[in-house]
Amino acid sequence: MISDFNLISEIKNNSLVMATEGYINNNGGQKITEEFYDKKNDDINKVILNLEKTKVVNSIGISFLIEIIEKLNESGGKLVFTNLDPSIDKTFTIMGLFHFAKKADSIEEALTME
Amino acid sequence: MVKDELNLLVDKLNLQVKSFQEGFEVLSQARNLKDLAKHFSHILRGNLLTLNVNIFYFEADGSNWSELYIHDEKSFDFFKHFEKKTVPEICFLDDECFKVAITLPLIDKSFFGLIVGGKIDKKDYSEIDKISIQIFMQLLGNAYQAFVNQKKEKELVFSLNNRVLQLNSLIDTGIELSSIQNTDSLLELALQRSVVLTNASAGGVFIEADSIELQQLTFPPGLDKEYLENSDNKLRTNFELLGKDYTFILVEKESRQGVVEFDDTDEILLGAFARQLQSAIENEHLHKEALEKENIKKELSVAAEIQKKIIPDSLPKIEGYKIAGINIPSKEVGGDYYDCLELNDGRFALIMADVAGKGVPASLLVSTLNASLNAYLDLQVPLEQLAMKINSIIYNASPSNKFITFFISILDPSTGELDIVNAGHNPSLLLRKDNTLKKIDAGGVAFGMFDMGLPFAGEKLVMERDERLLLFTDGIPEAMNHLEEEYSDERLDDFFCRNRPESAQKFVNDLVEDVKKHTGATPQSDDITALYLIRN
Repeated sequence: MISDFNLISEIKNNSLVMATEGYINNNGGQKITEEFYDKKNDDINKVILNLEKTKVVNSIGISFLIEIIEKLNESGGKLVFTNLDPSIDKTFTIMGLFHFAKKADSIEEALTME
Repeated sequence: MVKDELNLLVDKLNLQVKSFQEGFEVLSQARNLKDLAKHFSHILRGNLLTLNVNIFYFEADGSNWSELYIHDEKSFDFFKHFEKKTVPEICFLDDECFKVAITLPLIDKSFFGLIVGGKIDKKDYSEIDKISIQIFMQLLGNAYQAFVNQKKEKELVFSLNNRVLQLNSLIDTGIELSSIQNTDSLLELALQRSVVLTNASAGGVFIEADSIELQQLTFPPGLDKEYLENSDNKLRTNFELLGKDYTFILVEKESRQGVVEFDDTDEILLGAFARQLQSAIENEHLHKEALEKENIKKELSVAAEIQKKIIPDSLPKIEGYKIAGINIPSKEVGGDYYDCLELNDGRFALIMADVAGKGVPASLLVSTLNASLNAYLDLQVPLEQLAMKINSIIYNASPSNKFITFFISILDPSTGELDIVNAGHNPSLLLRKDNTLKKIDAGGVAFGMFDMGLPFAGEKLVMERDERLLLFTDGIPEAMNHLEEEYSDERLDDFFCRNRPESAQKFVNDLVEDVKKHTGATPQSDDITALYLIRN
């Protein structure tokens, strides 16, 4: 499959912070979940997904995000989205993601969220 | 004694029923299969007081058993020799460690396999235990069914939400497209949305006219058309608009299991996006056209304003003469100009001009002519030289397709002497006392056609008492009726000769009325301009 997706991540204050760039489709979703499973450990109970450089997400990409949300919920953790483009915000709202995940305007705000 | 035993059995059964109920409640909350197996293992151990319960799973269409929850590592090697059966099978074994082996077919053609160890008190399983195991197996099957239903429900909710998203995005895109005035942005938005909502991994839009590619756009950017065209998994649609072919190609519909075929909904969605784009481009085109029309309207309004300021509101009084003039512009602003300017030596310049073309360019040329005349007339330059000078000015100020036909006559009111130059204009008419008609054709080419120093031949005439002079533009003889018949030079000559009212203004008014009588309801296509002079 074709992809123009990039991902970088870091651990900050026991939170896994991932920043995406490009189309979150099957390939993008896979990369995010692989990074999540790779970096997630018992010390990390918050995952922050910075979507500042992502303008489009398809439903396959969303299914990967739901998988991460479910995994985190099982261990009492949470996913926080930041820097959402208005169209992605609307997409996530319609798909019901904010029932189980949170959103913040910035990474700093997400880090301080309870 | 029997009664006590019976009571004990009833209590035990009540406890089991309660345990079954609680067990189902716990199992139905399992978040995944491992969770389900773990909970079931605890429930079974608690109820049967066994040493271990080991649970395996064989996926529908799978090829191997996998471990779900294990107490005893040896159980898997022990269990894998058991065959799956289409009906639940509970075998009580003679083995030292493992006493029960179970295979449980499930609703979706998958299987659970269980290996249960001996009881903690090392006793054999009682008949009640055996019945309990059967009931617990039923419970596990039901819990699994609930788990599968829950998963299906989640998928259904996801699918419904996705449909809502598609519909919402289609509406949003329509609104967004209608607010964008730039074709590139329109294409980008329509392409991006159609790729995303059909779960395509890429797509492109290609515009051609007469098989020549004019523009292409892909998402993600930078893909080859050939790559998209050669894909085995693609969806395409196209439409034609304003002489251009627009082709959309989407490729590689994604799923979690890999690339799948595009379905009918994708085709409907792509078609809908293409129609929205078509409509938006058409609207953009109409909008541009309307703007252009508006600009032309504004331009004509400016031109009309310029012309209005140059055409005189009133003419100067000339002692011993009566003078009147008229200019009726056509709907489109024309380039006719007339004037009567009093010179500083007491003479008067009678001017009639017609610029080829209409609108702002024509008005600007009239304006240039007007300014040049005002600047040079009082310098007492011989008329032929003045004509050459103004020709040069107009030539340099006008585009190649613009020129001015021009007639000027300098009148000395005391003697009636007329000094005339006609630069390509209609011959003016002079009606002599003896009723003969003189056509003043003194010549030269129109202003602005050449700047080669060609001379303008002048003519001198004397206008006697009771003689009349008419200067006009071709809007009068060329005025057409609905049969496209012109008013004609002959009819104008005839009207000029036969009508000799006392008032110059009356002549002008009557002439216009006669022209309108000829044209009837046919719209005026050119300016009507005339200047009429009577020597008392």
